[in-house]
Formats: sequence, structure tokens, C-alpha cells
Amino acid sequence: MNSIMKLLSDAIFYNLIREQRYMQFLDGLGISLQLTFYSAILGTVIGLFLALAKLGRIKWLERLATLYVDIIRGTPVVVQLVLIYYAILGSSSFPKIVVASIAFGINSGAYVCELIRAGIMAVDKGQMEAARSLGFSYSHSMIYIIIPQAIKNILPALGNEFIVLLKETAIAGYIALDDLTRAGNIVRGRTFDAYTPFILVAIIYLYITTILSWMMNKLERRLRESD
Amino acid sequence: MIEVVNLHKYFGQLQVLTGVNTKIEKQEVVCVIGASGSGKSTFLRCLNLLEEPTAGEIYIDGIAVMEHRKDINQLRQKVGMVFQQFNLFPHMTVMENITLAPIKLKKMARSEAEKRAIELLDKVGLPDKNNEYPNRLSGGQKQRVAIARALAMDPEIMLFDEPTSALDPEMVGEVLNVMKQLAHEGMTMVVVTHEMGFAREVGDRIMFMDEGIIFEEGPPQQLFKNPQKQRTKEFLGKVL
Ligand SMILES: Nc1ncnc2c1ncn2[C@@H]1O[C@H](COP(=O)(O)OP(=O)(O)OP(=O)(O)O)[C@@H](O)[C@H]1O
Ligand SMILES: [Mg+2]
Repeated sequence: MNSIMKLLSDAIFYNLIREQRYMQFLDGLGISLQLTFYSAILGTVIGLFLALAKLGRIKWLERLATLYVDIIRGTPVVVQLVLIYYAILGSSSFPKIVVASIAFGINSGAYVCELIRAGIMAVDKGQMEAARSLGFSYSHSMIYIIIPQAIKNILPALGNEFIVLLKETAIAGYIALDDLTRAGNIVRGRTFDAYTPFILVAIIYLYITTILSWMMNKLERRLRESD
Repeated sequence: MIEVVNLHKYFGQLQVLTGVNTKIEKQEVVCVIGASGSGKSTFLRCLNLLEEPTAGEIYIDGIAVMEHRKDINQLRQKVGMVFQQFNLFPHMTVMENITLAPIKLKKMARSEAEKRAIELLDKVGLPDKNNEYPNRLSGGQKQRVAIARALAMDPEIMLFDEPTSALDPEMVGEVLNVMKQLAHEGMTMVVVTHEMGFAREVGDRIMFMDEGIIFEEGPPQQLFKNPQKQRTKEFLGKVL
């Protein structure tokens, strides 16, 4: 029993306390959260435009948006990240966090687009017909009738997407961005402890995603109550 | 009021309407009957271009609808529609459901639109429901709100697509009564219905649809008592 306690406290000391390694984790978490935040915003904006393009009636725009979504969803995000990193770094030197935010934003946009589309299409088609039969144009029907209802479908799914995004940013280390996962890697390199740093990393991710899920559930319940 | 000339509608290969011709006069109440799948809804929905006709022409107040597609939103304001599934806007109160279109489309002042809405709710027998959300209403109440919503645009004609088919039997009467009252006030109405009693009592003309056309039509006494065609007799034999 004593030896287990000793093992545990040693592990925590070497991986967390010594040389203020907890700062490494905290800084990494900060980067991960920032990266998630910026990509979520960019992804939402891109997704919104893609969804509009797909739902709109301009054929070539619709095709372009479909192509975008297919390419992004059909290729691994790591590959996208690295490609975008070299594409942008080839011309100038943005901070890595900006490059990664752009890459993850571009990626998330494709998924957000589909969420928005699904949310809109889940609204009963009788709603559009009722609005049109009263004399509303297509766009006014969207604005007054469809979108307010679709938002209730979209927001929870969007929250989910951001949780997925937070976890996906764990590959930012591929372009040497010091996010939370890479912090675990760096500490491991110093302490030669195979498990502890990543167990700590896992606990931190889990803690954050649990908070986010909890917030989402609350929001979802709020939305449902307003029906 | 409405004239339909040689209306065709195909869904891909499926020919649903194959030459419908009719005229609906002002203040006339036309009841459309026929077997499931005979194209009654499709016909009705072509009248306000919720379905795009494949060929033919529709005139509303003498205006060729198909040639004035860009004015369709204006035209639809003259044509109220009531659906089988009510299609109330669930995120809005009864009052908002009724006032949205007059305020946004007719630029009516909110106070005026609300005053009118209260009159209409009174008329459909729901004087105290204006602040409810639709999901708090029974089916019959929902349908009456839907009728009030359509009436709020002061349409010249009202289209009903099986307005009582989704209702529990005990609620059918309350909706039919509102429609009856409308008919007595002189509203022009086209009603797709399986309620033969209503059609007989309120209809000025019964249209029996089959094989994609108006197979037989006439005043209710004639069509119900003395149908001329075999198919009509068979259909009436099943439903009466
Ligand atoms: N949007 C559509 N796409 C393809 N086929 C359709 C569509 N709408 C209707 N149809 C078909 O057209 C035919 C006529 O349909 P319609 O709804 O007009 O019949 P109906 O007389 O109203 O029947 P019911 O009494 O069941 O309401 C049916 O065979 C139906 O399956
Ligand atoms: Mg029908």
C-alpha cells in the first residue's frame, strides 16, 4: 500500500510539480482552448456560408459548396492541417496558432454546414408551405419561420461539434504547436514516464468536455422548454 | 374568379392531372371528392402554385398565374390555404401566428392587426386563446386558428385540403361549423373533403376527381342522388 502511494506521489511530483511542469500543461490547455475557440468561430462562419450556398438557388455556388464539403469530409484532418501549414508558411510566417485555427476552422466549416442543413431540413416542410401560402417570399419564410425553428435543432449539434473540435485539435502538435497533447509529449520526453503525462492530459480533456457537455445539456433543456 | 384551363401535372413519369378544366365563381363553394391518390390535393396545390403545373393555365381574377410567377407572392395573398396538418408556426403564439403576415406583408400596424386577430379568433370560437402556443391547443382548435390565420390576409378565396382528416371525430364538427359560417358569409371556397355530409349541405358544386381529370361534377343533389357515370356511382357507393 505504502509503495503504491509512493509511486503515485513520485509520478505526480516528477510530471507535474518539478520544474513547474504544471505550467506546461496549463499553457498547453490555454493553446488548445484558444485554438478551439477561434476555429469554432471561423467554422461557424464558413459553415453558415456553405449552408446558404447549398440551400440557395445559384447552381455553381451550390456545386462549389458541395465540392468543399466532400473534400474536407473525405480527407483526414491531419493531412489538411499539414497541407495548410505548408501552403501558408510557404508564403509568409503567421503565428502557428493562426495557421492551425484556419486549418481547423476550414475543417469544421464543412461539418457545421451539414449540421445547419440538417437542422433546416428537419423543420417540417408544411411550415414552408404555410408561409408561402400566406404570401411570404422564400427568403422571408426562411427568416421568420424556418430558421427560428431550425436553430433549436442546430444549437445542440453545434455544441457537440465544438466538443469534437476540442479533441481534434490534439493533433496540432503535427505542426509543432504546443497544445495540451504536445505538452504531455514534452513532459514525457523529460521524465521518461510513459503513462502519467498522458493520463493527466486525458483527465484535463475529460474535465473540459464534461463541463462543455453539461453546459450544452442545460442549453438543450432550455430550448426544449421554450416549445 | 378562378379559371383552370387544361391543367396537367406530372411527377416525373407519374401523370397525376391530365387536363383539368373548370371555373370557380365568386362566392361559390366547390367540394372536391375522389379516391385517395386521384390528385385532389395536387389540383388544389396547383391553384396557388405550391405545385408547379406541368402545362395548362390558371387565371385568378383574370390574371394568368403562370405568366406572372414573379408576382406569385402578391397573388398568394389573395388565396388563403388551410392544410390537413394545420401547419401552425410552433414558435409563435396564436396571436403572432395570425398577425405575422398582415404586419409583414400588408404593413399593417401591429395594434390594428391584433384588433383584427381578436375579431377573427372570436369568429372561429377561440376568444381567449391569443397568448397560447399551438402545442397547447387541441387539433380542432389548431385548425380553427389556422383558418383565422389565413383569413387575416383578407383572401378572396380559401382553399381547404382535407381540413378535418387529421382530427379526432369529436372535433370535426367545430371546424366544419366555422367553414359553414364562412360559406354563408359568401367566401369563395374550394374544399377537398371526405365529409360527404358537409359537401352535400354546404357545397354549391361537387367535383368528383378520377383518372387525373374532373370526372363528373354537378350540384350536390344531382351528383349524390343521380350520378351519371359508373365510376362515380362506385365511388359514392363506397363512401356514402
Ligand atoms: N411531391 C410528389 N412527388 C411525387 N409524387 C407525388 C407528389 N405528390 C403527390 N404525388 C402522387 O400524386 C398522386 C396524387 O396525389 P394527391 O396527393 O394529389 O392525391 P389525393 O387525391 O389528394 O389523395 P388523398 O386523398 O390520399 O390525399 C399520388 O399517386 C401521389 O403519390
Ligand atoms: Mg390529398
